[in-house]
Amino acid sequence: DDKLLSEPLSHPDFFNVKELFSLKDLFDARVHLGHKKGCRHRFMEPYIFGCRLDQDIIDLDQTMQHLQLALNFTAHIAYRKGIILFVSRKRQFCHLIERTARECGEYAHTRYWQGGLLTNAHIQFGPGVRLPDLLIFLSSLNNVFESHVAIRDAAKMNIPTVGVVDTNCNPCLITYPIPGNDDSPTAMELYCKLFRMAIIRAKDKRRQSEALDQLR
Amino acid sequence: MAGNRMQKIGSVFSRTRNLLRIGVIEKPLWFDVYAAFPPLREPVYRVPRPRYGKVTDVIRSIFYQEDEVRARFYRVYGSGPRPFDLSQLNHKSTCQRFVEKYYELKEEGKIEEEKLFEETGKALLASGIILQRRGTDKVAPQDHQDNETRASVLHLQRQTLLEEVQKKKEGQEERTPELAEAQKNPSPS
Repeated sequence: DDKLLSEPLSHPDFFNVKELFSLKDLFDARVHLGHKKGCRHRFMEPYIFGCRLDQDIIDLDQTMQHLQLALNFTAHIAYRKGIILFVSRKRQFCHLIERTARECGEYAHTRYWQGGLLTNAHIQFGPGVRLPDLLIFLSSLNNVFESHVAIRDAAKMNIPTVGVVDTNCNPCLITYPIPGNDDSPTAMELYCKLFRMAIIRAKDKRRQSEALDQLR
Repeated sequence: MAGNRMQKIGSVFSRTRNLLRIGVIEKPLWFDVYAAFPPLREPVYRVPRPRYGKVTDVIRSIFYQEDEVRARFYRVYGSGPRPFDLSQLNHKSTCQRFVEKYYELKEEGKIEEEKLFEETGKALLASGIILQRRGTDKVAPQDHQDNETRASVLHLQRQTLLEEVQKKKEGQEERTPELAEAQKNPSPS
């Protein structure tokens, strides 16, 4: 059992997430397009490549690195049978995200986030609730363009987070930020596809490893 | 059931590591994975303060050499005859064709700098793309004439409008007494 869990950590890319995406895919999905100069958040400046006629362009080389780390982390959590929660407050993509979560076998919360969902879970849901082991933010802002409450709550409850941060978001508290566009439908479909493939791959590998172990 | 809810101090990892060292919690699922593959920046909370004093833009603007040609194209011809088709990934707009033709002719080197712009326009016409000028290039002696002609044209237009309005008013006055008579006539019957 120990060997089952520790063996994947020795490989740099056990689930081969690098082959799931390329720079051209990111560019074609318009992941590099940010908001206008006035909306820029100060902490996103290191991730921005430049400004073309007042519109921020995100540095896709950095996005590639961040995306690879984030997908790798997600895959490892899924391999260890962790609970993953997709969070987003974009009404345009709420159905897409819920469908992705259902296909992965994981969970999604794309509606209004009540105050004590994570911090007051034992009273809201009853004693002995298991909290999610990873939160994936496909858009880290809520409908009033402020940081989603769940980012702060996950940091409080010591739950790691993976999040797509646009040029107007605060990437400080997110464990594995992915600088990229969160407004285009093509970009969101790409992220959903990548996360779904990573999670399904990890779960299949886990089943294979367990089957091999049982045979021995 | 211990925990550390202070999200503004340290990162998730540092707090969990310290709690583990004391021995008040058991190792969470993600701890080993984070230790093996840490992120590029440790997720520590930072206060988002705005910049004070002389505000310098840290981010460079993206401009290309071809932007000069593009700016001139848009000033002279406005947005091109065909709209942009953004659903196609390799759509080449009229402006892009213009820029490419411009650089081709420039590399050939037979035409002078000042005439390159007009020559590119002619070359595009030859290949079938019609370019309509948006407004005349500002040349000093023509300005006064243009203003005078524009003023006289406007004056004529105003005169014709006034005549039309007067005619309409007379027409209405003729019609209203007719209506009044028509209304009076059926009532006694």
